[in-house]
This record gives sequence, C-alpha cells and structure tokens, in this order.
Amino acid sequence: MKFCYRTQTLPTPVFLLAGCMLCLLFLCSCSQDEKPVQVDLSKKAEVSVQKDSYIVTYAYLPQYSHRVSYERHNLLIEYLKRETGLPIKQIFPDTFDEHMKMVGQGKIDISFSNPVAYVKMAHRYGTNAFARIIEEDGRAEFRGQIISRRDNPAIQTLEDCKGKRWIAVDPTSAGGYMYPLGHFYDHGIRKEDFAEIDFAPGPGGKQEKVALAVYAGRYDIGSVREGTLEVVSDKIDISEIRVLATSRWYPGWLYSARKDLDPVVVDKIKKALLALRGDNAEHQKIFKAAHITGILPSSDQEYDSVRQLLEKVGVDLNS
Amino acid sequence: MTNPSSFFRKLGFRTKITLSIIAILLIFGIGLSMIMSKWVSQALLNENRMRGISNAVNLSARVVEPLLSEDLLVLKNLVDELSRTDKDVIYTFILDRSGKPLVHTFSGGFPIDLIQANALQEGEGYHLQLLSAGRELINDFAVPVLIGNARLGTVRIGMSHARVQEVVQRILWSIVLTIGIGILIVGFVSTALARTVTRKIQVLHHAAEEIIKGNLDVRTAPLLQSHCWDIVNCDQKSCPAYGDERGRCWYLVGTLCPTCADGRYEKKIESCRHCEVYRSQAGDEIQDLAEFFDVMALTLKERLLALRRTEENLKQQQRLFQTILDVTPDMVSLQGRDLRYQAVNKAFCQFAGKKETDILGKTDSEVFSGVQADENQRENRGVLEKGQTLNVEKRVDGDRWLHVIKTAVVSPEGEVSGVLGTSRDITELKNFQDRIIRSQRLESIGQLAAGIAHEINTPLGIILGYAQLSKEDVEPGTELHEGLSTIEKYARISRGIVADLLRFSRHTESIKRPLDINQILHQIVGVLEHTFSLERISIARELEESLPLVFGDQEKLEQAFVNLLNNARDAIGSDGQVRIWTTHDSSQKEVVIGVSDTGKGIPPEIRDKIFDPFFTTKGVGKGTGLGLSVTFGIVKDHGGKIDFESTCRGKDSTNKAGTTFVIRFPAYEDEPT
Repeated sequence: MKFCYRTQTLPTPVFLLAGCMLCLLFLCSCSQDEKPVQVDLSKKAEVSVQKDSYIVTYAYLPQYSHRVSYERHNLLIEYLKRETGLPIKQIFPDTFDEHMKMVGQGKIDISFSNPVAYVKMAHRYGTNAFARIIEEDGRAEFRGQIISRRDNPAIQTLEDCKGKRWIAVDPTSAGGYMYPLGHFYDHGIRKEDFAEIDFAPGPGGKQEKVALAVYAGRYDIGSVREGTLEVVSDKIDISEIRVLATSRWYPGWLYSARKDLDPVVVDKIKKALLALRGDNAEHQKIFKAAHITGILPSSDQEYDSVRQLLEKVGVDLNS
Repeated sequence: MTNPSSFFRKLGFRTKITLSIIAILLIFGIGLSMIMSKWVSQALLNENRMRGISNAVNLSARVVEPLLSEDLLVLKNLVDELSRTDKDVIYTFILDRSGKPLVHTFSGGFPIDLIQANALQEGEGYHLQLLSAGRELINDFAVPVLIGNARLGTVRIGMSHARVQEVVQRILWSIVLTIGIGILIVGFVSTALARTVTRKIQVLHHAAEEIIKGNLDVRTAPLLQSHCWDIVNCDQKSCPAYGDERGRCWYLVGTLCPTCADGRYEKKIESCRHCEVYRSQAGDEIQDLAEFFDVMALTLKERLLALRRTEENLKQQQRLFQTILDVTPDMVSLQGRDLRYQAVNKAFCQFAGKKETDILGKTDSEVFSGVQADENQRENRGVLEKGQTLNVEKRVDGDRWLHVIKTAVVSPEGEVSGVLGTSRDITELKNFQDRIIRSQRLESIGQLAAGIAHEINTPLGIILGYAQLSKEDVEPGTELHEGLSTIEKYARISRGIVADLLRFSRHTESIKRPLDINQILHQIVGVLEHTFSLERISIARELEESLPLVFGDQEKLEQAFVNLLNNARDAIGSDGQVRIWTTHDSSQKEVVIGVSDTGKGIPPEIRDKIFDPFFTTKGVGKGTGLGLSVTFGIVKDHGGKIDFESTCRGKDSTNKAGTTFVIRFPAYEDEPT
C-alpha cells in the first residue's frame, strides 16, 4: 500500500515577508542617483598669479587679524577708489616689521599705522603723516592698558608686575607695548624687572592674542591698546580680566604716505579722507566699520611725544 | 518537466524544513545585504559629503588671512596639508575672486576643466557636484572664502567616491560572509532540530504502517523516565497504571489515583493537568501526538477485538440460522419490497430446481414458470399491500401439496419491508389423509357388504340347494332342467360375489402359516403364463432369493396376486410385459412384492377410487369391480400395505406409461421358543 502525504509548500507569511523585502529593495534602489559631470583631469595647464600692473597699495598695520583689518577698512578703500578714481588695493602684511619693511620697499603706498610705527618709518624711510583719525571715544589719541586675570592674587598693584611674565603685542605696537612700557618706566619699572617679555606670535590678530593669552593664564600680565577688550568680548569673559593700569594719552593712529609716492595721489587721498563727515549716512557706515568717528589732517610734528617716549624707553629707531 | 511545487512536495520533511530556513535566510540575507549596502553607502556618502563640506568650510576660513595677505606659500601649505591628512581628498585648490586658481595640489599643471565643473552661485554657502573623471567618481565641494559679504575667492576640494565604494564593498562582503556562516550554522542546527522532529514523525509513520498492516501492538511514545507510582509513592497494584512502563496514566480509564476524576480521558484530563505526574511527564506536541497515537491504537485494538468477537458471534449465528433453515424441509424465502429474493434455504432451491446464487436477487418470474410465478407475485403483492398473513394449502405440479404461509416483514419503523415465505410439502399428509378417508370408506363399504353378503348368502344357499334338488327331480334336457341349471349357475356366481365381498371385508376364515412368497408367485406365474402369452404378454420374474417367509393364508394371497396379474393383463390388453419382483426391505423388516405392467396406466382422476368395491373401468359384464378391493382386503388382513405408482401417457409429464403395484408384508419371524 502506498502513502501519499500532502505537504504545504512554503507558508504564506514567508512569501509575504519576502515580498516586503523586495518592495523595500525596490524602494531603496529607486533613490535618485546624481548624474556626474564629466571632467578630464588630464587636460592641464600651468597657472600663474598675475600681478596688477598699477595699483596704490593701502595697508593697515596688523594690530588685528587680516579679517578684522579687511572688514574695518574695506568700505573706506571702496570709498577712496570711488572718490579718487585710483586703483587702490588693501594689502595685508603679516607683522609690524613686515609692514614697515614693505613701506620701505615701496610695496605699501598708504600706511595706516600707530604713531610708534610711524615714527620708526618716518625715521627710516621718510614717510609723511597727512591725516589722523578720531577714535570711537571722540579723541584723536589713545592709551595702552596693562591687564591681568582678576583672580590672580599675586598681582594687585603695578609693583606686583615685577618679576612676572609679560606678553605684549609687538615691539612696534603703540598701545600694546610702548605706551604701557612708558607707563612702567614712569613708575620705575624697567624691562629687566620682568621675568620675561614676549610678543604675540604670528601674523595679525596680535591684540586679541595678548588678551587671550592672559585670560588663558599663560602670562601674568599683558598690554593692549584701549578698546581691545571690547573687541575680544565675544571670545572671552572680559569680567575675568582686570585692567591694572592705563597709560597716559598719546596721539592716535594716522595715515602716512611713502616718501616717493606721487604727491597728487597723496593729495587726492588726503582730500577724500578729510571729506568724510560723520553726519553723512554713507560716511557714517564707513566710520563705523573702521571704528573711527572722524579724520583730521595731521603732520609729522604731532608725534614728537611718541618720539620722546621711544627715546625714554631706549628704542633704537634704526633697528 | 518536473513541476517545482510537486518536486517540493516529494521532498522529505527534514529537507523541506532545512531548505525553507535556508531560503528564508537567503532571501533575508540578500535583501538585508542590499538594503544595508544601500543604507551604508548612503550614510558613508553623506558622511563623505559632510566631511567634504566641513573640510572646505574649514579651509575657506583658514585661507582668509593668507588669501588677504596673498601668502601663496601658506595657501599651498594649507591645501597640501589637507590632501595629506585626509586620504579621501583627491585634490584641493583655491580660486581667487576672479575664478583663477591660486594654489592647487595637482602636479604637472592644473586640470582646467575643474574650474567650470562646479560653479558656485552668489549667496550659496557651498555647492556639491559629482564629477566623473574616467572610472573615478569625485565629490567636488566648492565653498566661498568670505569676509562679511565680500567673496575673496573659492575653496574647492575633490573627495573620492571610490573609498566609499570600497568601504561599502567591505561591509557587503562582511554581511555576505556573516550570512553564509549563519546559513551554515542554521543549516546544521535546523537539520539537527528537524532530525529530532522527523525521527519522531518517522516513528509515527512506521507505526501507522504497522497499524494498516494489522499490527495494533505499536508504541510510539518514548519510555517514561520515571513512573507515576514512584512519583506519588503509590502502591496500589490493582491500578491499571501500576506497572505499565510505557503508558501514560492520564489516558487510562479506571486509575485509582485519589486525585483522578472518574470517567474517560475527556473527563479526567482536567484533574490530571494539575497532577505532579502529568506536569513532570507531559512532553511537547509531538510527544502528545505519539501518546494520542498509542492510545488510539490501543482503543482501536480493543474495538477491533470486540468487533471481531461480534462478527464471529454473528457468523456463528448466521451459520446456525442457515443450518436450521437448510435442514428444515420447509421452503423458506425472504423477498424484499421489490419482490426480489434476498434469502432462500436449500429446500427452496431444491423446490425451484436452481442454485441459491441463481435465485438471489431474482424475482418470481425469473425463478418460476409462468402460472406459478404469477400466482406467487399476486400473493406477495397482497401480503405487501395488506400486511396480512397468507395461510393456504395449494396443489402444485399436479400432485404436490404445499402449505404456504406468507408473512409481511415489518421494519422497526413500522413499514413493510418484505415478505417471509414458508412452504411445507404436505403431499404425504394429504395422501395419508386420503388413504385414511378411503380406508374408512372401504371399511364402511366392507361392513355393509359383509352384512348384505351374510344376509344374501343364506337365501342363495337355499336357492342353490333347492335348484340342485329340483334339478335332480327333473329330466335332463328338459326346459325345466335347463332353467334350473341356469338358476344354479347364477346362484353359484352370486355366491362367488358374496364370497368375494366377504373376503374384501375380511369376513372369511383364514388359515395362516409361514409362506414362501417366491414359491407362490412361481406357481401362479406358471399357471397364468400360458394364458398371458396368448395375448403376447410376457411375465418377467425378478425374485430375490432367500426372501423371508410371510405369515399368511396361501389361498388368499394367491387370489390377491392373481387379481393384480389379471389387472395388469387387462391394462396391457395385448403386447406387453408384466414384471413381478420381490425384495427384502431389511430396514423395515418387510417383504416387498411388486407387479409392474406396461399398460396404459391409471388416469389420475380415478386413482383414489381404484380400491373401491364395484369400481371398474371394464365394460359391463367384464368385471365385478371387486378385484382390487378384494386384494386390498387380503393385504390389510395380512397386516400389509398396498400402494401403486402409475403414469398415464398424455396425462402425466412422461412418455412412458404403466402401473406398478407394490405390496409390503411383514416378514415372518420365528417366535422364540
């Protein structure tokens, strides 16, 4: 006798699941694939950076980062280009020294610098001051500040700074080094009294770096120009920073032209700068970006106080 | 060509399970690997894009200063550093605000196609473009270098698609490998699992085959690890579960466990579910099935045994019933409502002259001849319609008498379902009745004749005497003498008749002695042979030697035999043969004498009258009609029996004609001295 067993084929749920999987696969495979653009990487050509044939170069002494320099002065330069019709271009030297050297090399035609740098450049390369700015506080002069961490118990007075590590902006910095140094000298504290004096490294942004280094506790004291703390207020908690002392007032930043620059060009630029008015909405924007409130005509004699300061602290204008 | 579904059906159960699991794993594995690879590749591509964007945005932030200061060395270092630190980065380059490349990581010139390959619109934060460089796919990221709203230039980074594809491939291979190993493991595990399941199913299968072959002593459930009497410390040896090492007590009826409910499985299982024995011994579904199977086989065996006993009983009763039916001389038949025969006994078959198999299922018209079939059907219909019992005596086949009883068979529902017929052959009874009636009649006639004979004998004697005396007184030759002679002659004839009558009524004296019948017959035949031969009638003698003697009156016996021979001669007329034979019926202790002739036979209508006195078929004056009556009287006087068989041409269903008279006398036995 034979037996015949009827057997169910694969149960329905298996087919159902398999069907679901296939649907899912189909959906997955249906995702739109981007169509690539054909490129031929073997088709090559040598590239070279073309130098502009003639431009008037404008440089901002790199007390801040290039970005800040650009942001502050771009509108002003655009204005000058419009007003003077000159091909003015802002360039960005990395250091104070480089800035001064480039002025000497003729690579910078119009220099916007602090009085210390100007005094040096004037001495070395014969640059001529022709305009000065009015700071945001309405003064045409500014000061330096000596700062420390508020929670540093070892530094309560200026005297406490002796034997401490000091970070300054640059040897050529006015508010960030020379003015505070003059203040120390006025209080009988010499360079040698400090454990060390370092300068902020690298190109640009040096004022901010000083504030950040003190905030980070890497140095006991720092020196910055007045107003720097406000600039870095978005990066650090400036309430943690104590201003130990503020220097006396010195002349503010100024415009100078390199010795061999065409006086016509200098004149055009000077006129355009002096034509800026705080009551003009357009000019107001330019001033606001550049963190100034006005521009005044200036001359070399206005910076004698700075020359005296440099002499006092023993700066060799040639080195 | 093999149908896949039928192919799958033919596969073994174990193979099916394994194949199904592997198929499911394969389907899921392939599906999963494809989905995973898709998802992973999407995720990696997205990650690649995010990384590319992040790289480009970072670079664009880092290049602001050197770009402003036009420090190409720093820029070059930055782009080289990125290409060096991120292996997915194929190239990096920076375009100035006019779209000219400032620095790049290519060697041997800059591929100029790239400049236009991914154009960044004003205001766009970044732009991603898929590039195809031969076989290689590249995600090209363009991010503007911005200061405020002013765009100083563009950073472009190319990141390879191939590495993503490699990772996807690796993941895919890992999944495939995992699934492969999984299939192997699951295959082994499922085979092992299926083996345990199919082994149990095979046991059930073999058991089912054994059952079909008739072997109900199958046990498929596994041996119990422990026994119920051990678990509950029971010592009730009279319990049916006690000592049964394979059976499960919850299937057994009549267990003595105090926790068991009475009754069969369906009643007691509820109470058993809470029992420790059940909880410790109940198995999985297959074990349950095996246990059910065993119980089923056991129950089936019991039922089959009971059925066989009943069947045997029934067969025995059927045999007994059939034997009774067959032994009974009555003809018994059962017909259904359609009047077809359902059962008949041997007597019926003999009566119908057919085999049982030729009768069953047939109707009367197929079994019997026309007239009888019609009559039977008429009677049967009457019984079926009226439901009344038919009880008649009827003559069939001319000389056979049957007592027929036909009863309606009523079903338990009260409907008439057939006709049960019994027919008893009462021919003998009828004949016996006839003979009794005839004997009584002859007895009456004899007594009457004897009375008359006695009364007539005396006057006849006087008439004869006076006639003889008167004749002596009268001259011979005279008319008176002649007249007296005539009176004397007829008086003598009358006295002979009277003597015959007296002999018939056994009112004559008998002188009995032991006689040799053969000798008497030889003497008679010797006398008559010559007379018979004149009519060319031969007499054949077949006389058995050493025949016992018969105690009788020789003269009377001679007369009886002569009468029979004369009748035979008269029946033949001329040209024929009379056969006389004798024999000894030792069982009945009788001497049998037969006289057969080849005459015309006795017509059936007069057969019951031939022994009547004065009944004759001969012409007037040729016979007195007393011959057979006298013979009958003589035989009876000797305590014998006379019978005859006669066939009459044209009237009986035979072509031969003739009559045989058979006389039986008790054999003489010497009385013990």
